[in-house]
Amino acid sequence: MDGSSSALKGYMPVLKWFTKRLLIALITIYFAVTLSFFVVKAMPGDPVQALIQMFVSQYYMDYDSAKSLAEAAAPFIPKGSVLHQYISYLISFLHGNLGVSISYSTGTPVKDLLIQSIPWTVLVVGSALIISFAIGILIGTGMAYVHGSKIDSFLAVFFSVIRSIPEYVVALVLLIVFGFHFKWFPTRGAYSPNVTPGFNLPFIKDVLKHAALPILSWVIVHVSGWALSMRASTVTVLGEDYITYAKIRGLPSRRILVSYIGKNAILPLFTSFMLSIGFMFGGSVFIEYIFAYPGVGNLLYQAITMRDTYLMLGVFNIIIVAVVISALIADILYGVIDPRIRRGA
Amino acid sequence: MKMAQNGSSFSELIRNAVEDWIIIPGKIIARNKRGLVGLIIALGYLFVGIVGTHIIQEPQSFTCIPYEPPSILKWPPSFEHPLGCDYIGTDILAQIVYGTPIVLQIALTAGLITTIIGVLVGLTAGFKGGMVDTVLTGITQIIMTIPGLPLIIVLSTVIRTYQPWTIGALIAIRWWTGLAMSIRSQVLSIKQRDFIEAAKVLGMKTHHIILREIMPNLISYIAINFVFAAVGAIYASVGLYFLGVLPISTYNWGVMLNMAYKQAGGGASVAALHYFLAPILAIVLLQTGLILLTYALDEVFNPRIRTEVS
Amino acid sequence: MGNERILEVKNLVVHYLTARGPLPAVNDVSFSIEKGRIVGVVGESGSGKTTLALAILRQLPRLTRIYKGSVMFHGIDLVKLSEKEMNEIRWKKISYVPQAALNALNPTIKIIDHFIETGNAHGINDKKLIVEKAVEIMKMLNLEPERVLYGYPHELSGGMKQRVLIALSMIFEPELLILDEPTTALDLLTQRLILDLIKDLHRRTHMTVMFITHDIATIADIADDVIVMYAGKLMEKGDVFTVFKNPHHPYTKALMSSIPDLTGDINKMRSIPGSLPDLINPPSGCIFHPRCPYAFEKCKREEPPAVEIKPGHVVSCWLYSKQ
Ligand SMILES: Nc1ncnc2c1ncn2[C@@H]1O[C@H](COP(=O)(O)OP(=O)(O)O)[C@@H](O)[C@H]1O
Ligand code: SF4
Ligand SMILES: [Mg+2]
Repeated sequence: MDGSSSALKGYMPVLKWFTKRLLIALITIYFAVTLSFFVVKAMPGDPVQALIQMFVSQYYMDYDSAKSLAEAAAPFIPKGSVLHQYISYLISFLHGNLGVSISYSTGTPVKDLLIQSIPWTVLVVGSALIISFAIGILIGTGMAYVHGSKIDSFLAVFFSVIRSIPEYVVALVLLIVFGFHFKWFPTRGAYSPNVTPGFNLPFIKDVLKHAALPILSWVIVHVSGWALSMRASTVTVLGEDYITYAKIRGLPSRRILVSYIGKNAILPLFTSFMLSIGFMFGGSVFIEYIFAYPGVGNLLYQAITMRDTYLMLGVFNIIIVAVVISALIADILYGVIDPRIRRGA
Repeated sequence: MKMAQNGSSFSELIRNAVEDWIIIPGKIIARNKRGLVGLIIALGYLFVGIVGTHIIQEPQSFTCIPYEPPSILKWPPSFEHPLGCDYIGTDILAQIVYGTPIVLQIALTAGLITTIIGVLVGLTAGFKGGMVDTVLTGITQIIMTIPGLPLIIVLSTVIRTYQPWTIGALIAIRWWTGLAMSIRSQVLSIKQRDFIEAAKVLGMKTHHIILREIMPNLISYIAINFVFAAVGAIYASVGLYFLGVLPISTYNWGVMLNMAYKQAGGGASVAALHYFLAPILAIVLLQTGLILLTYALDEVFNPRIRTEVS
Repeated sequence: MGNERILEVKNLVVHYLTARGPLPAVNDVSFSIEKGRIVGVVGESGSGKTTLALAILRQLPRLTRIYKGSVMFHGIDLVKLSEKEMNEIRWKKISYVPQAALNALNPTIKIIDHFIETGNAHGINDKKLIVEKAVEIMKMLNLEPERVLYGYPHELSGGMKQRVLIALSMIFEPELLILDEPTTALDLLTQRLILDLIKDLHRRTHMTVMFITHDIATIADIADDVIVMYAGKLMEKGDVFTVFKNPHHPYTKALMSSIPDLTGDINKMRSIPGSLPDLINPPSGCIFHPRCPYAFEKCKREEPPAVEIKPGHVVSCWLYSKQ
């Protein structure tokens, strides 16, 4: 048969695919949430005792005031069997209730803490991702054009080494050099206490200054990964027959660069771009700790040092949901932008 | 690789093994500059990790002379203390050396466990197919969704271990998934090829054929993954010590970083930089060495290059 | 036939600059194409057929040089034209259907956009005009324009893709169409279909066609004249009837004996023993001598000249040289 009926296929298969994909996402979230619940609940020791110990060792309190503080938190610590706690957690999770924190001003809903910190992480992770992706694409394309040359193979090794350097090392160096030594950038927090939060220029400027070093730390490490992926992808595309044929047809080089090389080389990177969002959320602990940045990672760090079970679970589950949803969106968007997937190749 | 015949002598067996595992890889690595540098660096760390603690005295606080509390920048690098001393007068070089075995043990364990679980899960899912495959793939994908670093942090507080081996195992929990999935897909793609069908018709054992066919491809992939897992484990473990969420028993690069970080700020920054630099360089050099080593591993297990040099 | 010659290639030499040294992919090739004829170019893969086509179009890869020769098109030497002048001829006057039909279209844009961008690249910005032209040609090629134009390359079968490429090459109604192995990647039935369509198209438009293939049987089917190439050199040329009835060059004979006989038994098909020489270090004398069953002493020492044994029938072989 000379023809393709796929172009005429209706939307039924798309709908079916989408339902299935959504179902898998929900099941994944359920299992991941369950797994982390039991892991977190397995943390040893009596929570109140752990809390007392923490207050003593972290805040150098004397035992009595630590004890009274911890006991104030006691009513907020869920009781009953782990299974019972699990079921009531699931039920409240479905209602959007993530329990209360026992470390931050005791009794604050975990949800509120998350709502306060998510925007900061999104700001840093999001800008870092976009900046490093953009730079990486440019460098990678350039490397692919001179593929096999001395400069290309040098950069390839250089970037694969840079990629393996932990981002906390980069962050520490930036902190010491540009924060403490040159004092070009603030070293802690998301904004200075003397500016009024809101949509005003001084505040925005201040926020950007505070976010600069955290973003730069991510960018330095991540640019190399994107550059290497883009290089590999572009080298493949450059060897494709449709590039040669486009040149023969006399298409202007700008058109070839954008809709031929660019589009076809970036497409395969798209999925990992989306997935990175979720993973950078999870990896934000180090950088946010170093710059005392009030995002999700810092919240997790606090929760762990304070044995704040529900806060910990809250952060965990937010990250799990972020990972699963970004994978889901990646799949859907990929279908939209790559015609080969869209019409069901 | 030749198989030893019944009649062949023990010495011949040894000779073949030496040829396969030392002479040929040696020749290949010698040809590959990056790989050679990587190997030298990796062996250097191994040497420091094994022998260093026997040569260099255990670091002790307040040993740098003159000790005058609590002033800063007291101990720049000197002949007795090549990397200087930290703010409480402990020799920095000794701290780096005594921190090395732990890092290496963690990296090695994580690499081994990652590889074993990854290969087992990947091969099983790929070979068995059907329900087994669905379940294994499902589990792997769920674990992939759980934020890796936070999971390791929580698990380490659950288990609260000082043992480098256990920490390595903990870290491996997150790292095997990628390896498993790619081995699975390689097995699946080879299973579909025609010659496997033909071999089946001839009554040959499929598993043998597939293993013989895919192992040459997989070996270099697995070896490189082993190194990447080690690199990841170094990243995670030093990071966790730096955060202070792992219990400390001995000297450790991450702890050094943490101390320096806590001392940083204000007037202490310059002194802190001096104390920072040592663990930072220790990590970066080790990671660089391992990454360069992967370039050599890629060739060492490549059958075409092996025959080229032998 | 004494028709107008629209293309005359003279002593063309094309070198690829490789790491091992210059590779003469087309070496001192001369021929001409008369208006309205279908000229078949045949030779094993690697003989330099594609290089020859790209040299005529002046679209060789970057590391290539034309060292000698001329390509006269209506009396203008294309080799000497500026890039801008060449752009006026390329695609509008001489156009090309690439060899790799299955992967020559951009997978991420629609077929219609391929037509529009090709038009734009040559100064036609009226979308409607381009689409109208595309529809007209596609109909001639038995393609359903509505369905194909708004689809993506992966939605088309191999035969449809090949026809889209032919349509793309014809939107300016070129005088000369170069088809580079237009049937190679296709199954037998589709090959048949494409050949018939090309013949039909030729009957209707009377355009001149240079038809490249490695399959000499196809030449017999479609071409008026034939050029036999081997290792960058012209071995024999003439009109199809003469050459096929009485092949002279040992290489042509060998190619012809590789045609399956009427029973179509593939197993009886003989391929020529040996393989193409290393073009960077070519054999001395006649480049075919290592594989030639008739080779004698002189063949190893000296290169045979091209000799016109009958008007229009040229052979490069010592067997037919009077020297
Ligand atoms: N871009 C290139 N660089 C170097 N050598 C090439 C290139 N393209 C083709 N060649 C070589 O030129 C010779 C002729 O190739 P080609 O023109 O594609 O032959 P054909 O089309 O007859 O198969 C071959 O030996 C081929 O290896
Ligand atoms: S010149 Fe000699 S070697 Fe060449 S084709 Fe003729 S007979 Fe054969
Ligand atoms: Mg060709």
